[in-house]
Amino acid sequence: MHRVRALLPLLLTAACKPPPDEAQHMPQADPVRGKQAIVRAGCGACHVIPGLRWPQGQIGPSLEGFADQGLIAGRLPNRPDLLAAYVRDAPATLPGTTMPSMPLTRGEARDVAAYLYASGKR
Amino acid sequence: MSRPISTLRASAEMTNGSIFPVFDPAGPYAGSITTLTWVLIAMFVAVLGVVISALWIALRGSGQLKARLGGTRAIWIGGIGFPVVVLTALLVYGLTLTRNLTAPVPQDAMRVRITGEMWWWRVAYLDRSGRPFMLDANELHIPAGRPVLLELESNDVIHSFWVPQLSGKLDMVPGRRNTLPIQADAPGVFAGQCAEYCGGPHALMGFVVIAHEPAAFDRLMATRRARRPAPDARGRQLFHSTGCAACHRIAGTEANGMAGPDLTHVGSRRSLGAGILPNNRGTMMGWIGDSQSIKPGNRMPPYKTLSAAELQALAAYLEAQR
Amino acid sequence: MKSETGFDPALYDRFPTAGERPESELKELERIWCAPKGWQLLTAVNNNYIGFFYVAAAFLFFLLAGILALVMRVQLALPLQGILPQETYNQFFTMHGTVMMFLFAVPMVEAIGVLLLPQMLAARDLPFPRLSAYAFWAYFVGGLCFFASLFFGLAPDGGWFMYPPYTSITYSPGINADFWLLGIGFIEISAIAGAIEIIVGVLRTRAPGMTLDKMPIYAWAMLVLGVMIIIAFPSVILGTLLLELERAFNWPFFDPTRGGDALLWQHLFWFFGHPEVYIIFLPASGLVSMMVATMTRTPLVGHYLIVLAFLATGFISFGVWAHHMFTTGMPNLSIGFFSAASMAVSVPAGIQIFSWIATFAVGKPRYNVPTLFLLGGIVTFVIGGLTGVMVAMVPFDWQAHDSYFIVAHLHYVLIGGMVFPMFAAFYYWTPMISSRALSERLGKWAFWLMFTGMQVTFWPMHLVGLMGMPRRIYTYLPGREWEVINMISTVGAFMLAAGISAFLIDVARNFRFTTDNDAGNVYGGGTLEWLPTGLYSARSIPVVKSREPVWDDPHLAKDVKAGRYFLPGSATGLRETLVTSPVRAEPQYLQIMPGPSVWPFLAAVFTAGFFILLTIQAYMPSFACGILAVVCVLRWLWDTDRLVKEPEVDVGAGIRLPTYVTGPRSHGWWAMVILLIVVGMIFVMGVFSFFYLYGVQPRFWVAPADLWSLAIILPAYGAAAGLAWLARYMLAREATEHWTPGVLFLCGAIALAIGIGADLWSWIASGLRPEASGQGATVYALLSLEAMLATISLLMASYISARNSRGMIVRPRNNSLDLCVLWVIYTAGQGALTAVLTRAVGG
Repeated sequence: MHRVRALLPLLLTAACKPPPDEAQHMPQADPVRGKQAIVRAGCGACHVIPGLRWPQGQIGPSLEGFADQGLIAGRLPNRPDLLAAYVRDAPATLPGTTMPSMPLTRGEARDVAAYLYASGKR
Repeated sequence: MSRPISTLRASAEMTNGSIFPVFDPAGPYAGSITTLTWVLIAMFVAVLGVVISALWIALRGSGQLKARLGGTRAIWIGGIGFPVVVLTALLVYGLTLTRNLTAPVPQDAMRVRITGEMWWWRVAYLDRSGRPFMLDANELHIPAGRPVLLELESNDVIHSFWVPQLSGKLDMVPGRRNTLPIQADAPGVFAGQCAEYCGGPHALMGFVVIAHEPAAFDRLMATRRARRPAPDARGRQLFHSTGCAACHRIAGTEANGMAGPDLTHVGSRRSLGAGILPNNRGTMMGWIGDSQSIKPGNRMPPYKTLSAAELQALAAYLEAQR
Repeated sequence: MKSETGFDPALYDRFPTAGERPESELKELERIWCAPKGWQLLTAVNNNYIGFFYVAAAFLFFLLAGILALVMRVQLALPLQGILPQETYNQFFTMHGTVMMFLFAVPMVEAIGVLLLPQMLAARDLPFPRLSAYAFWAYFVGGLCFFASLFFGLAPDGGWFMYPPYTSITYSPGINADFWLLGIGFIEISAIAGAIEIIVGVLRTRAPGMTLDKMPIYAWAMLVLGVMIIIAFPSVILGTLLLELERAFNWPFFDPTRGGDALLWQHLFWFFGHPEVYIIFLPASGLVSMMVATMTRTPLVGHYLIVLAFLATGFISFGVWAHHMFTTGMPNLSIGFFSAASMAVSVPAGIQIFSWIATFAVGKPRYNVPTLFLLGGIVTFVIGGLTGVMVAMVPFDWQAHDSYFIVAHLHYVLIGGMVFPMFAAFYYWTPMISSRALSERLGKWAFWLMFTGMQVTFWPMHLVGLMGMPRRIYTYLPGREWEVINMISTVGAFMLAAGISAFLIDVARNFRFTTDNDAGNVYGGGTLEWLPTGLYSARSIPVVKSREPVWDDPHLAKDVKAGRYFLPGSATGLRETLVTSPVRAEPQYLQIMPGPSVWPFLAAVFTAGFFILLTIQAYMPSFACGILAVVCVLRWLWDTDRLVKEPEVDVGAGIRLPTYVTGPRSHGWWAMVILLIVVGMIFVMGVFSFFYLYGVQPRFWVAPADLWSLAIILPAYGAAAGLAWLARYMLAREATEHWTPGVLFLCGAIALAIGIGADLWSWIASGLRPEASGQGATVYALLSLEAMLATISLLMASYISARNSRGMIVRPRNNSLDLCVLWVIYTAGQGALTAVLTRAVGG
């Protein structure tokens, strides 16, 4: 059900909107390594993340279809550099956020961001 | 788009448990049952073959064969003689094996008391006199190559302890104490799961057994005995003020709650949430913040009001409890 | 030829009689047996209607529980699915098991018996038609309410075997568990009523000449079934009572901290629960045996061996209950015994399988739908039996127990052993009650879809069980390769469902219920149910000379229809049937049967209402229902046990039989004795619980037993028994005053009350409280049981007085008084035993 709901806007926008790849293109980052980092850091304990079956925590927002999201955490522009910074050290990037910092290197953080952008698309 | 990444094998990675645990025994107790299992499967195939052949002959066979099958003699042979022989042989084998598997283990074998709780496992390592000297939860460390005697108890409802690679299952019945010998021949990690329906998230009540080389095991025990509480005043204070200490114990600190799992060594555990999550920063924080969305129905309340920094500090504090 | 009752077998030679019977005779028979129309059908008691309703209702519950299973399969198809939340899933699997076992399987086998037995035995009806109606309606109304609990989230969630302490008030505080305990209550009552009906029916209403030897194999199966229900069900009745007492009043039967023991429940439950499997399997095996013979057009090979196998199964099945408890840490000695018994019980199964194979070999099997279901059932059952042997091997059971291996095993046994034979029976016997047979073409679709679906669903479960998947989990984590196998199972489940849908389509298109215009003997069966029948069953009741009379006497059908045998019409102008002797089936007397009545229906509705309202804690309406139920039962009984004008009538060919008998020859006496065995078994299980808890936790047995009070209690009970017996004795005396027997009986009942009162007072004075310990709980439970029986005795006393005041307690012997006297004497005996045994240990 979650998945269907998450895919719905994607289907609607896919036709009329230019592919967001331009804006979210991350040449040095590898989504495959990003997924591994997500697993290792345990991001799923708080977020529903596409492609990740377990765990699927719900205290944080779902990260499905992240590429189409306008803002990060509702306040930051959804840009690769900001996303990479945010997943690594959210409190520093966006003071007052409830998301704690995560044990990720800068490289891993970029991989994670790449995965989040890539995984929403099919 | 990158190629789809295979589904996360969280539990498999966490425990390295075998896919076919009953056929992949790790020690003598499970091993002899595996042999028995193969014998029984052979029996199954053979008898089913006999019955289906007989049925086939009865329906489609030649007149002569049918004539042989069509009488009370066939019933005496096929329905009485044949089963009696097969069953008697099996029974002797099965009962001998039962006796061997329940034979007393050596007096000096390590003893551990495991108590079933809704929906986790209390682990107490016992000294020679049977008194607990070290508490833990949801994970058991054992030396490889030596028998270990588990005392199985329950504090609430009936649970059943089952680590299929190490032995068969045995129930944990309130008011009773059952003993189960296990042994791993080589170091390894073995997954288990509660096998008696105990309500709620019974499906998510896992267990992990880690077998070490004896020397490594002794070192681990020595390290744990020599441990000092992590010198993290903020985390410790937070642990107390948030209310964690009401249910959880951390040896050497004022946290002394016994309702929930003992967290003295939580940082060194392979898993969280009773064998269901890998233990890392994210899962630790996620579990503290809202374990209900991960394991619905478990007894730990959500702590959604914790700030990012508090969550961070608590997780760091717990990670340091090794 | 010897005789059992003094009946001269030479009299059988008068049949078939020569000459035409008057036309009016048949018309009168039709008038007497005609069914009520419209809404009044609710008052029908005839087995053709009740049996059909019963089968249809049981099948409805099969479908409902099947739908639950489909939803569960969808939930498990993939890891971490969110179709069913945890608590709903836990309710679903509990309801699936409970409904399948209690609302489908047991009722279904009894229902088929109610429908088939009278026809097969050529009786006009079962001996207690109103009891059948009561049993059916209580089951149907109660069952629907019970099922509806699911829609309110109130369904039980403790698994179908409801292990405490999980089901105790501490861990299951909601009324969900009460729904199970009380909801199962009326189903138990209904099952026992059915069993009494079936036992007395099989033993006393067979066609003349149908000796035990010539009795159809199905009737043997039903006889063993009845006896097994009588012995097994009391155990679960007591178990549910105790658990409900613990939940409602805090009496610690299962609480180890106060001298109870959680395993006591498991013993009580499985002492019922395992025989239950054979209660389901044996009747199906009886059906299979009948159908195999017909489909191969040859008498069953090994008939005697199968009868022996039934008896052996019934006997051994009471010695295997603890194989459900191999993982509870039992001592090795018990393990050995139960393991051996569990293996032994597969020998009778082997006999049955090979008898069928031998019959197939002798005959020329016809490959129609019933045969396909029979063969599919046999293969499936053999697989289930073999995995059963595997889990009887204790060390293997330690791995397999409570895993999906067991789920696979039990579905193989039950689907192969009962469901497939049931579908075979539906196809085979439909022409008996429908004006059209079912379709061969749709039937083959149904079979192949069901058979394939069954294998695809359950075969992989063996594997996933050995891969470590425990049963009763609402979800599982990814990464253990369980998902592929579970997905296959789910696909299989939908195939199975498709097969059942094909059957439903077939039923919708071809099944047309009828009582007198049926399609007839389509498959060429040899037993009496294939005689031409109406609501009165066969027009006349034939003399049976062989096991397959229809095959052996080509004129039988014609002669029976022409009324050339026993009872060609109604001898008294009332509904009636022949009661025959239990072994040689010699005619003994003519039983006058009750006709349609609204009272059994109302009694059933109020009984169901009592239990359901009690569950939802509406105490006042519940007790009102309880009282109304009792009133309705008494009102229904009021019509019974009446003399007809003619003490003796001609039942055909000048043979004269009495219309009223009393004492051990009467069918009522048999039913009462069986009922007392049920009550006695409840008591025995209560005594077992008492000594079991004493054995496990003797340190809680501290309350001193007051031996002196026995000096009051025992004489009181002795007086009760004596007075009751005296009432019966005085009734027969010419000079007795009109009121004497009734007053004597009342005094007897009062003496019972004094006995139980003194016993209770003595324990209360000793300071023992029921909530204090296992001792208190079991002592007061046994006392409560006795108090209940004594209360019923008082009720009986007022009923006897009421009948007496209307001159209905006739001399010299009267069944109503006789049966009540039996009850009082039994109650006195149980009371005395209670008083002595509760004082035997402790203190």
